[in-house]
Order: sequence, then structure tokens, then C-alpha cells
Amino acid sequence: MLIDKEKCIGCGICVPYCPTGAISMSDKKATIDQVLCVECGNCIRPRVVRCSPQAIYEPYEQIKGTPREVRRYFSDPATVHGVTGVPGRGTEEVKTNDVTGRVCRGEVGIAIEMGRPCIGTTFAEVEKLTKALAPYGIEYEEGNPLTHLLEDRAKGVFKEVYKSESVLSAIVEFTVKLEHMAEILETIKGTAKELDTAFSLDLICCFEEDGSVPALPELERLGMKPRANAKVNLGMGRPYKIVREA
Amino acid sequence: MTHSLHRRGGEADLKNDYVLLVTAASGINHVGSKDKLRQVLEEVWKIGPTNIGSNETGTILSGVDIEEIRANLMDIPRVRCNFASKEKIRQAIERLLELDLGMSVTVSGPTMDILELCKEYGIKPHSVNFSLDIWGKKKKLPPEEALELLTMCGHSLISKILVEETVTKVREGKMSPAKAAIKIGHPCVCGIYNPDRAQAILARVAPHNEDSGGEGL
Repeated sequence: MLIDKEKCIGCGICVPYCPTGAISMSDKKATIDQVLCVECGNCIRPRVVRCSPQAIYEPYEQIKGTPREVRRYFSDPATVHGVTGVPGRGTEEVKTNDVTGRVCRGEVGIAIEMGRPCIGTTFAEVEKLTKALAPYGIEYEEGNPLTHLLEDRAKGVFKEVYKSESVLSAIVEFTVKLEHMAEILETIKGTAKELDTAFSLDLICCFEEDGSVPALPELERLGMKPRANAKVNLGMGRPYKIVREA
Repeated sequence: MTHSLHRRGGEADLKNDYVLLVTAASGINHVGSKDKLRQVLEEVWKIGPTNIGSNETGTILSGVDIEEIRANLMDIPRVRCNFASKEKIRQAIERLLELDLGMSVTVSGPTMDILELCKEYGIKPHSVNFSLDIWGKKKKLPPEEALELLTMCGHSLISKILVEETVTKVREGKMSPAKAAIKIGHPCVCGIYNPDRAQAILARVAPHNEDSGGEGL
């Protein structure tokens, strides 16, 4: 985002709204630090920042096709990534799992939401995790824009041009067999100590016919008991899928 | 992404915080789903959500009306809203069962309470996304009381600075907790931020002294 200095009246109303603290005042005009700005769009939403002279703008034509463009897809929920066609930073995950069968019985879906909450991340930080996960032969979600920034998916290496780009959060997302869950979660825990950012960790599981969740005892053993609030798919979607066909 | 998951707060505090998402699955059942989602919008609106919105328009907290949200549903439509009581989410689930539209429904909130509601209505839930907490360099995180407000926007669009400044205004009596709760919620464009809960958090962390100043902003 950029400030039109001619239009800016120096009121400073935009300053507190920037989630990365990129906006400051200089010579009675607002200014945006382009290193910190993640192109989230907060400051140009007229119902969020009521900048009456509309002095803030997105120079989209300037960033289109450049590495910087990825910032908006991982920071602005109103953008839709060209490759995936899905709004937001990841897939529809558990939201439509009853229809997509993204995660079926006998499997778990793992999502590592790098930079969340409210710290942000670079792809160099994300790479620390994807490299650590390389020995497991993980197939990352095709429907997640992050997957398309990887140069070498098997080694978990990102394309060089994206590594220094900063975003609000980026999600490492994949599905594995339940029997591999424990070793992968242990690796994630171990790698967490090497990171310069934080991440929120998600685990998607299907309910069995009797309502049980087989992963729970193992999570307890790992010291990773789920928090008290979760996101439950009620199974109302059609067509319905819960078993992976051989 | 799981923008409604990972809300921070004590168990008692999270009791009155439910996010309802009704979603068409891209490439599977989204074709022709717009009218169904419009119907869902109308029905949940009657129940009285504390917030509702869309990435395309913004939220009722920031001055958008339900007609604008309805008119701007995308080709792969989603309904996102927040209910501040178990009774209201119960009504929403009951109505969605009656409508039986074949769209995916998720409820984020206290797991045991959601499963209890499922049992009550004979629903066999399909799957669950658990929050396994925050890992990594946690010393970079803001204080827990700020996180309670910040994590109500899972897209991280609410800034720490906005929360700090607004809490200070409430503490100094320059703004009421009610107004502050709305102001902090403006950046959450999809409509899952819970202003009722935010007001309770603000009243707790920054008790408002009615005698110490005006309403400010």
C-alpha cells in the first residue's frame, strides 16, 4: 500500500489499524514502511479506516507478477489466489470436509499456521518446518497457495524469490495416516524451538461411527491435549464422504 | 483457513462464543448454491447473530446491512456469523436441519457444548478441527488479555496497536467498553468477531469509570 502525499491530511487515523505497525507519521503525513507492509488491505477498506480524502491506495499493477504479490494472498482474506481459486490462505479444511473427504477415517489433517496469532512470518521461517518434515514424504495440499511456492516439495525448499517475503500467516497443510501422526507432531514440536515466529497448530480428525476420536489418547500421551474450543463439522453437506476409497 | 479456531480465553469466557460457517464446497456442490446460502443468511439473521459479514463487504459492525451482504455473495458462497449464546446457536442448528440444504455446516466454540447439541438433535458430527495451542517463539506474543481480543479475528487483521490504544482509552474513561468493542471489531471483515464477548473482556481488563470522562470516539 502507498500514501498519496498530496491527499493525506496528516490526521493519523490509519496508524493504529496496521497489523504490522507499518504506518507512521513523518512531516505531518502518513508513511508506509514497504518492508513491514504485508498488503493486507486493512488501511484501504473504507469501513475500517475512514480516511476521508482516500489517500491510501494499492499499487496493484506495480506488484502484479512480482514476488511481492504473494503478500496479499497470505494477508488479505478478500483476495483469491489465482491457482487455487479459493479465498483465504489455506484450503476449505474442515469447513467442507464432509463433502471433500480431504481427511477421512484413519487419517489426520495437520495444519501449521505459521505467524499466527498476530506475529507474521517470512517463507524462510516456513521453510525451517517444511525442511524438517521432508523425511516423511508428505504431500502438501494442492489447494493451498503455499504449496505452489515450493521449488522442491520433497525437500521442502521454497523458491528463492519468495523466501524473504513477509505475510500475516501461511499454512503448512497436509493429510497423513493416523499411525504417522505422533512422529510428525514430535518433529513439529522439536522444530518449534528453532523458529523466530510462533504458529498455531491444528489437527483434523473424523469421528468414528460410535462418536469416538481415535487420535485423542495419543495426543494426551504427547502432551498435546486439544484446547477446550474446537471447530466441528456437523456432517450436513452432500454428497457425503468419510471413508477413503482404496 | 481456520480463522474461527484458536480463540484464546478461559473456558468460562468461551462459553458464550459460537461461530457458525455454512460453506459450499468449491468444485463439488458450489454450482447453484448461491440461493441456498441466501436463504441461510435470511434465516440466521432472524435468530439474531451478534455479528455477520463477508470478506467482500465487511460486517454489520462497520455499517454494512444484511441486504448488501446478501447481494455480494461470491460464486463459491459462504455464510459466516457469530452467536453469543448457546441458545441462539441451538436455534440456528435446528433451522439448518429443517432446511436440509446439503451445504457444509461447522460450529466453532466449546467442544463439549457443541457435541451435546449434536446429541440432542441426533446429529452425527463428521469431523473436528482441534486447536493444539500455540508453539514457537511465544515471547513475541502480546499479553494473554490482548490475545483474547486479537484472536477473535483469525486472519490477524486486528492490530495490537489498535487494541492497546483502545484499552487505554477505556481505562482512562475516554471510551465505553461497548464502543471500544465495536471499534476493535471493525477490521475483522468476515463477521466472526464477537463484540459482546469483547465488551466483557474490556470491562474486565480495563474497568470503565463512568465519572472519569466522556464517551470519546
